[in-house]
Amino acid sequence: MKFSKSVLLASMLATPMFAAAKAPASSATNQLNISAVLNGYYQSEQKALSNREKGFGLGETELALSGNIDDAFYGKMTTVLVSDGSETEVELEEAFIQTMSLPAGFSIRGGRFLSDIGYLNSLHMHTDAFTDRPAVYRAFLGGHYFDDGLRLDYVAPTDLYWSMGVEALKGANMRAKNDEHKTKEVGIYTAYTKFGGDINDSSSWMMGLSYLNNQNGIAELHHEEDDDHGDEHKGEDKHSGHDHGAKYTGKNLYGVDAVYKWAPNGNFKYQHFTLSGEYFRMTDLFSADEHQHDLDDKSHQGWYVSGVYQWSPKWSTGLRYGRVDVQVAHEHEEDGKHEVELERQSLKETEFQISYHHSHFSTIRLQYTNQQGQESLKPTDEHSVTLQFIMTLGAHSAHQF
Amino acid sequence: MRISSKLLGLTLLLVGSVQPVFAQLNVFACEPEYQSLINELAPEAKVYSATTALQDPHMIQARPSLIAKLRRADLLVCAGAELEVGWLPMLQMKAANSAVRNANTGLFFAADHIETLDKLERVDRSMGDVHAQGNPHIQFDPYRLLKVADALHQRLIKLDPEQKAEYQRNFEAFKQRWTQAIKSWEQKAVSLKGKQVIAYHTSFRYLFNWLGIKQVGDLEPKPGLPPSSSHLAGLLALAKQQPIDLIVQASYQDTKGSKWLASHTKLPMVVLPATVTREADSDSLFKLYDDVITKLLKAMN
Repeated sequence: MKFSKSVLLASMLATPMFAAAKAPASSATNQLNISAVLNGYYQSEQKALSNREKGFGLGETELALSGNIDDAFYGKMTTVLVSDGSETEVELEEAFIQTMSLPAGFSIRGGRFLSDIGYLNSLHMHTDAFTDRPAVYRAFLGGHYFDDGLRLDYVAPTDLYWSMGVEALKGANMRAKNDEHKTKEVGIYTAYTKFGGDINDSSSWMMGLSYLNNQNGIAELHHEEDDDHGDEHKGEDKHSGHDHGAKYTGKNLYGVDAVYKWAPNGNFKYQHFTLSGEYFRMTDLFSADEHQHDLDDKSHQGWYVSGVYQWSPKWSTGLRYGRVDVQVAHEHEEDGKHEVELERQSLKETEFQISYHHSHFSTIRLQYTNQQGQESLKPTDEHSVTLQFIMTLGAHSAHQF
Repeated sequence: MRISSKLLGLTLLLVGSVQPVFAQLNVFACEPEYQSLINELAPEAKVYSATTALQDPHMIQARPSLIAKLRRADLLVCAGAELEVGWLPMLQMKAANSAVRNANTGLFFAADHIETLDKLERVDRSMGDVHAQGNPHIQFDPYRLLKVADALHQRLIKLDPEQKAEYQRNFEAFKQRWTQAIKSWEQKAVSLKGKQVIAYHTSFRYLFNWLGIKQVGDLEPKPGLPPSSSHLAGLLALAKQQPIDLIVQASYQDTKGSKWLASHTKLPMVVLPATVTREADSDSLFKLYDDVITKLLKAMN
């Protein structure tokens, strides 16, 4: 198994040279784009709601292949290598095809892809301004939510940018723990819409609304006599290696996101500023044997606000504040009666980073994180420092707004 | 029988409606020089430029307003040669407009229709942000631009055959005016021949090539990298070794490095519009060329 992986990698890594040598000098269509992302870090503490171990480690090291298949289809495959202790796992993060010639602004994407809910989710992690995704993403979406499924997207022919879409996805990583006996094969349905435009030459904005319906998201409390933490399941098994599962689940997840970008005269070469924020609320978290009214109106929620300023081509800095508030169930038998108590726990995260960019393709980042969390959301230390590098090789990938 | 004739009629109607009949051609230009060129060749068309002369066309965000504009475009006109590689593919994917994806119909890359300068056999990132397909800043080569205009007017005819005569007329008129103008520009700029300059990036590679100006130094240590202090010190040494007439940079480039060098070398410095602007003295291709040559002459004296 290990051997076959290394052969696969070796052959994939050998391809760029071959492709570069043979790439015809014509416009950038009809060619295979190969890009790799190298990502390594040193982290002083184990953070709450994070799979990254303290000490030296490798983040998501990516190898991506993409290109137009023909005039009707585009395809992309992203392989991620995650090193966790002595284990190195190969994971397929993306393997999708997308239609490119449907009429009237429609497009369909199928296979494995990043869901388009929220603002950050569809962006690749190596473009992030901070070393980790915000706590709300780590709690509800497993950092970034990708899955096998199908998406239908529509862009309206309006002056104001307006797109909308629906997705149906497998949702295997988003299941509540004790729901196995009646699991739905297509577990997740999403719907989203985005609006955006320019304010003037220098500033642009985008806003989005999203909804995620998780058919397998409700945790049943009555089967859990031996487990006093009803909902925090996947997050606990830190030794099972790289885990993309959502740590907290529920039936409905509602999100609103907004982003504003500024650059002098719209020239992003020297200075630019990005302000972004998202809010998520998760409802219908638990079901119990006996109807307990106090369960109905309980919800998880989380949000973050982030500001990143690049003041010169080589330096940027960012500040982010975010928090999550979750309901943790404690169950116990009292006088022969099954009792469930919900306790609210929260994690507050303040992060500050400074980054050096030698060129457009290389970043070295130093980040300070302050985490204030209770019980299961407690970090090994409130203060932690992360030093990270992210570098890209190969094809110049085009980035989303 | 009656049904089939109705069906036939309906089919004809549908086929007829598929043929591109443009009430008004909607053009998305990546850079203002192509917006200006479309204005010459198809004055009736609605043209939008994704960038301005104050923006580095390498570093554009695939922002929502651009997606919305490209969604409704009939024709996409760009420099090509990978100048827009950091944002155009994303725009094309997000806009879901199949009309502007085919390089034989709704997608027009200017660099596909000319021979670019400085094509590279081998490209390595250690060389900086270079393009294997050659220098894409072709807006200041009047001869190449005329070839582009020729190819572009043929593309317009292909897309919108009903207006064929008009596009031909417009191109012929443009060709005549442009050829005349080239003569007067060349006369006007004759004293610029052989001058040596230090410039920022290879933005004016074609202009210098055309007018016989020699770029002996680049403010960028490597393409895409901003001037560093050690590199500027090297340029200062260079200026002491050989005669340099001028420091030149484009409107979207940071003036810090050029100003530093100008003050230390006592050399004149000029900021040229990178392309067609919104200012009155350079808001068309003709005026842009006039303006750039005038500015160069003025700075040299």
